[in-house]
Amino acid sequence: MKPRLRLSNLAVLLVLLNGLAPSLWVLLTSLKSDVELAQRPITWWPEHATFTNYLRAFSEQPLLRFVGNSLGVAVLSAALCVTVSAGAAYALAKLRLPRPGLLLTLLVSAALCPPASLLVPLFEIMRGLGLLNTWLALILPNAVLSLPVCTLVLVAFFRTIPDELAEAALIDGCSHFGVFRRVVLPLSVPALSTAAILALVNSWDEFLLALTLNAGAHTRTLPVGLMLYQGEFTFPWPVISAALVVGTIPIVLLLAAAQERVVGGLTTGGVKG
Amino acid sequence: MSALATTKASATRARRTLGWLLLAPAVVLLGAVVAYPVGRLLYASLHQLNLVDPAATRFVGLANYAELFADPNFWHATGVTLRLALVTIPGAMLLGLVLALAADSDSRWRWAVRLALLLPWALPPGFCGMMFAWFFNSDYGVVNDLLVRLGQTPRPFLVAPGPAFFAVSLASIWKASSFVALILLAGLQTIPAELVEVARLEGATRWQRFRHVTLPLLWPSILVALIFRSIAALQAFDIPYSMTQGGPGRSNETLAILTNTLVTEFLDIGYGSALATLLLGLSLVLSVPYLRGLYRSHD
Repeated sequence: MKPRLRLSNLAVLLVLLNGLAPSLWVLLTSLKSDVELAQRPITWWPEHATFTNYLRAFSEQPLLRFVGNSLGVAVLSAALCVTVSAGAAYALAKLRLPRPGLLLTLLVSAALCPPASLLVPLFEIMRGLGLLNTWLALILPNAVLSLPVCTLVLVAFFRTIPDELAEAALIDGCSHFGVFRRVVLPLSVPALSTAAILALVNSWDEFLLALTLNAGAHTRTLPVGLMLYQGEFTFPWPVISAALVVGTIPIVLLLAAAQERVVGGLTTGGVKG
Repeated sequence: MSALATTKASATRARRTLGWLLLAPAVVLLGAVVAYPVGRLLYASLHQLNLVDPAATRFVGLANYAELFADPNFWHATGVTLRLALVTIPGAMLLGLVLALAADSDSRWRWAVRLALLLPWALPPGFCGMMFAWFFNSDYGVVNDLLVRLGQTPRPFLVAPGPAFFAVSLASIWKASSFVALILLAGLQTIPAELVEVARLEGATRWQRFRHVTLPLLWPSILVALIFRSIAALQAFDIPYSMTQGGPGRSNETLAILTNTLVTEFLDIGYGSALATLLLGLSLVLSVPYLRGLYRSHD
């Protein structure tokens, strides 16, 4: 039994190292001074840990504003996405529309459209509407980006709710919409929050569309904003690392709080890779 | 018709009406953000349309596509995208499988293991590109530091095309493997432990148990992960762009980066749209097996 136990410990170590070491290295870099960074050979553990890189990250660029923009866009697009996909998923799972499989497939295939393809027309449309460099220019496409995964997660969940529940509520005089709003939705809070978390992460990560549709100084999101720390020939790595750490903390908190949900949701609706 | 039948029919109608009403917002959103833009994309791809000189807009038929197929930059970007796909798809599948097998044990580290699988998945790919650009930094990067410690000569990773391709591939594999691992881990956990146990009692070696019991049962999950990986690989943008901006030079310019450059730098909407249309078509073709599976399991 002993050698087997050791092998599984080794396996766990491999997974931990693979998943966490890169981010930990960035964290260590963010605590080093410029002087220490230029030492050869490089140091692994910071000799004199300093927080000045964090102060510089917040003062050289409006990092707090980037975080706020990312958060605002993510929360609003997740809210839009979950609202829209909850309705669609309920209609497809429970309201016996004709050819629900076909409708679901069409919906998912439309939303699988590559953002790089949509970039050109979306740019023109948003420019025409005067929405370039606003949150709205990203909220709408980001909501669509997560529509397949959210709809699939919610369809799978709604299917597990027994029909008798709706029938009992209907006999009690509830309308079909009343059943959805007052019986089904309250029961679905876990699935709705799973969908919301996946949509939040997708929006937080989006880069390609944000780079073009929303590069304005006041509205740009984190992945775009972080590109600004590097000059044409300068890469202030400790400051960039500090900014990366700041941008990663919300993700770690979300994953720490809700990892069961994320894993469950990803595997029922796994759409983004 | 009896009174009961009439009530039933009207109840069915009410239910269906609500169904269409609840589906409507999704249809409107997809119409506005996907269908209408795709329509404009197709239209633009058939026109000469450059924002530098919008007055010169005219219908040119398939000329943009013809020009595309004669453009060495297009073939170069296609080559880069394919090479990247050929390296990163098997790489991410393999690393993902190893991670999933390694994580599939009931240890008290379960929570930390999950976090270690989720973090690379949730990390913005743009962040990931910047992180790996730092690791591969010629002078102060940790990769060269490790190479020196192992007695190798340090390499200028991101300033030469070949090593930069290697670095971009490695970053992409790392980022993608955790998604693969999560999908495969879920698959592994549906395999009854008794099945593997029986094979063990029958005297099957560890490798035989994996090869003849686990792998066949894991196959559906592997296919799902493979399809998603392929679709994503075709659209590779974030990591090569944030690591080297598709460089050095154009050496790591993928199709998605080229589309972005054509449109945002050269403002050549017509030509860029032809490329974007092609990318859309390829992506749809790759999605067909997944969509067919989805349709079968829901209709």
